[in-house]
Amino acid sequence: MSSLHSVPTTAAAAPTRSRGGARRKGLRRGVWPVLVLFLPPAFLLFTIFVVLPIGEAAWYSLYDWSGYGAPEVFVGLRNYELLFRNPVFLTALKNNLLIIAVSALVQLPLALWLATLVSHRIPGVVAFRLVFFLPYVLADVAAGLIWRFVYDGDYGLLPALASLVGMTAPYVLADRDLAIYAVLAVVVWKYFGFHMMLFIAGLQAIDREIYEAAEIDGASRLQRFRRITLPLLAPTIRLSVFFSVIGSLQLFDMIMPLTAGGPSNSSQTMVTFLYSFGITRMKIGFGSAVGVVLFCICVTFAFFYRRGVMRHD
Amino acid sequence: MTDAAQPLGTPASRRPARRRGPRRDGLLTLYLYGAMILVACIVLVPLLTTALGGFKTLGELRTNPFGLPQEWIWSNYWDILTTERYWRMLGNSLVISSLTAFLTLAAGSMAAFTFAHLRFFGSGALLNYFLLGLMFPAATAVLPLFIRIRDLGLLDTYLGVVLPQVAFGLGMSILLFRNFFRNVPKDLLDAALVDGCGYVRYFWHITLPLSRPILATVGIVSFVNSWNNYILPLILLNTETKYPWPLGMMIYRGEFSTDWHLVLAFVTLTILPTIIVFFAAQKHIVAGLTAGAVKG
Amino acid sequence: MAEVTLHGVHKSYGELSVIKGVDLHVRDHEFMVFVGPSGCGKSTLLRMIAGLEEITDGELRIGGQVVNDLPPAQRGIAMVFQSYALYPHMTVYENMAFGLQLAKYPRDEIDRRVRNAGRILQIEHLLDRKPKALSGGQRQRVAIGRAIVREPKVFLFDEPLSNLDAALRIATRVEIANLHRDLKATLIYVTHDQVEAMTLADRIVVLNGGVIEQVGAPLELYHHPRNLFVAGFIGSPRMNFVEATVSGTGEAGVTVVLREVGTEITVPCAPGGVRPGDPVTFGIRPEHLAEDGTGAARIGGEVQVVERLGSETFLYVRMANGELLVVKAAGASRARPGDRISVGVLADDGFVFDGDGLALPAGPGRAPRELGTTRHEEMRGRPGPLLS
Ligand SMILES: Nc1ncnc2c1ncn2[C@@H]1O[C@H](COP(=O)(O)OP(=O)(O)OP(=O)(O)O)[C@@H](O)[C@H]1O
Ligand SMILES: [Mg+2]
Repeated sequence: MSSLHSVPTTAAAAPTRSRGGARRKGLRRGVWPVLVLFLPPAFLLFTIFVVLPIGEAAWYSLYDWSGYGAPEVFVGLRNYELLFRNPVFLTALKNNLLIIAVSALVQLPLALWLATLVSHRIPGVVAFRLVFFLPYVLADVAAGLIWRFVYDGDYGLLPALASLVGMTAPYVLADRDLAIYAVLAVVVWKYFGFHMMLFIAGLQAIDREIYEAAEIDGASRLQRFRRITLPLLAPTIRLSVFFSVIGSLQLFDMIMPLTAGGPSNSSQTMVTFLYSFGITRMKIGFGSAVGVVLFCICVTFAFFYRRGVMRHD
Repeated sequence: MTDAAQPLGTPASRRPARRRGPRRDGLLTLYLYGAMILVACIVLVPLLTTALGGFKTLGELRTNPFGLPQEWIWSNYWDILTTERYWRMLGNSLVISSLTAFLTLAAGSMAAFTFAHLRFFGSGALLNYFLLGLMFPAATAVLPLFIRIRDLGLLDTYLGVVLPQVAFGLGMSILLFRNFFRNVPKDLLDAALVDGCGYVRYFWHITLPLSRPILATVGIVSFVNSWNNYILPLILLNTETKYPWPLGMMIYRGEFSTDWHLVLAFVTLTILPTIIVFFAAQKHIVAGLTAGAVKG
Repeated sequence: MAEVTLHGVHKSYGELSVIKGVDLHVRDHEFMVFVGPSGCGKSTLLRMIAGLEEITDGELRIGGQVVNDLPPAQRGIAMVFQSYALYPHMTVYENMAFGLQLAKYPRDEIDRRVRNAGRILQIEHLLDRKPKALSGGQRQRVAIGRAIVREPKVFLFDEPLSNLDAALRIATRVEIANLHRDLKATLIYVTHDQVEAMTLADRIVVLNGGVIEQVGAPLELYHHPRNLFVAGFIGSPRMNFVEATVSGTGEAGVTVVLREVGTEITVPCAPGGVRPGDPVTFGIRPEHLAEDGTGAARIGGEVQVVERLGSETFLYVRMANGELLVVKAAGASRARPGDRISVGVLADDGFVFDGDGLALPAGPGRAPRELGTTRHEEMRGRPGPLLS
């Protein structure tokens, strides 16, 4: 059979470009009023309080400035130089990395393990899930203060617990080597429930028939976990890592009640460093340099992580 | 996501029970409950001892950190509850958080509406501009923010704290709203246009009433973030009477640093509203916070 | 007066041209149906009339007034969507009242119109329900009700029945026909179901690739398709097409020889520009082929597949050229796969399409038919085979 011939009608070769009449004003009128009404609030807020401050941080970081009058003492990149020569800042950087490592290597497996536990259909799991999630809704400051009490050398739970088993616990928050680990424990305590919820959602999205098929194929429980659950959960795991990294880079609230960066600056993070060396001393230029470095780390990480690791999610 | 708190089957539990002997079943159950109870203890013991500690005397706290108080000292709590400071602090938090949530909802939903329904010059670029806000924390810009708020004359005002909080929440809220709005059937907009709606009325009469789930999610996330926020109020407020509770708690702790029993009572009372609301609306809060994170 | 007139209407999305120049006049009170294959631009055309899509070029008039730049609500139209597009958070009543409220009608007038529409559509008892609590058919009625209350000059329907099950579809089809009769409004209706088109339409517009192939009354399209496309599109099962060569032209019509089949058929039509030797396409509908060999010519072949529908049987016959010929046979047909049969061709109902796919005009041997009867039925009554 021959192909169907379409028959050209009257204006076959008529121009298809707009004649202007229809262009001049859209049928869907009210587009401009909507734009003018709906966009500016968000745009102005975002520009004034997010974008401009970031730009200003870059600008201020080139000055030695106390915040009063106009920034006049131009010092070039000297603030950055000072920053990277500052041993406390290097400690802070190292601590941030440590937090990321612990989040990925301790908290994430813990959360995954618990997610598989509370995914069983047994009485009471819903209550357990809620309990595990509870620390996440508490403010960092509150969690920090509660654990400050737990760690307290005179009144705290930890020393009491140690003496129950016949040991004496060191005053962990006053110990230069231990303080940051004490902080890390609180970080895990507070955030594992959140990551657990992410994993529960991820597990729920896996079709149960896949497991049945694997069981018919003779896969053992461990094999099913390794060969099915883990790969299918990979996007959730990547997401969880993303949150851990961004979260640990901005860790501040929790440290203030626990150690405030001490003792001898051993538990500083980048943001506590920014606070204690930039804000409390009103060194706007220097503090801004810290902010710019933090900004660059966050954006570089977010960009490459989303483009690279989470590309297919 | 909404049923994150519902029971669900997993690989292990889906396996037909009859294939496993009752012994192994029992062992599994023992292991499950054992592990869950252990973790629950680690979560709850600090919280419970904090609450109990508030009923003790300082001396008893030292000798009996874990047990029930020998004598319940209600006055520790009562004295705090009868101070104006406690209520003012919670009131401040409530005002700041409600305002933040409201403005985030309003500004975010309106902007997202334009991104979801209108194509205009530069709309894609503008959306990316907002999404940039997802990538970095407020802490990076606190110093210039402080200068700016000071120069605007907003230092030490509620609004001075609220506006930056809203601004930093916009990226997430616009993304969540836009994704939601785009899934509203397009025919609905067409039907409304035929009915004589303009975009503004469509937004008000159709979009918003249909968006309750996402309004709840965004509202909860921004309210909780603001309720728990510490660094912005710390830098932008300096009158104690305007402090929200995280700041107030730190101040209290500074004043009574040696009186742990009072501090514990105070901490308990300040986190109590959070815990009550959490358990009362747990389904929405868990769903909101995780959905907000996943979809953002 | 609610005529709809399109003049040189174009639509393009950027470089992609979707509607390529449409001229159409829809008369007042007419039931006009747009049909065509998926993606041919039916919805786009309808939405342009509604004002939901901008008109890239050309002119659209409703009731004589150019409405190119008027927003939908001011065009005096109402639209029923395929998905119904009911507002999920409003009750049936509110759904219907919404447009009137926006237009600031007085409350009692709104109430009167909504209740009246509810009565016409028999959904009075559902007025307080939300769409979620309605069946598909009930939602459909609400969607129509929402259109009725606007008392529009022109109703626009975009595949309104395609989400209904078969039985409901037929029932609703009848109701829409009644509604059109009662409301006395112009109605433009998009469908890809040709039964809907044939049964409902005063006139049908066949669209293909953004252009109009033919406009005409249903039986006009059936009996006088302008070209291969319309011939293939209207009628079910579709018309058989066989490659052929013109062997002669004369008083009786055009004589063609089916290529690789050999059968010679004389179709009563004017030769137009074709001459002996020209390649053409011969077209014949399944209902104009006879299993028993009755007819002016015969095509031999082997039965491949037999579809028995009870009231009728369709035979798929493999011809010598390797292609399948669909034959409509009686429900009691005894044919079985593998049978060799000789199919009779009712040549008077055949068509010849020239090299450009255009149908040769009806010639002297082909009288204009009265609507409602076909030559076929007359032929059936006539005894004796004709020579091939
Ligand atoms: N917004 C758009 N941008 C680009 N192309 C579009 C757009 N809308 C429709 N089209 C194209 O226009 C053509 C006609 O679409 P239309 O929806 O009018 O087809 P239709 O005849 O209604 O088909 P169907 O029977 O499937 O509903 C299609 O090829 C479609 O891909
Ligand atoms: Mg369509």
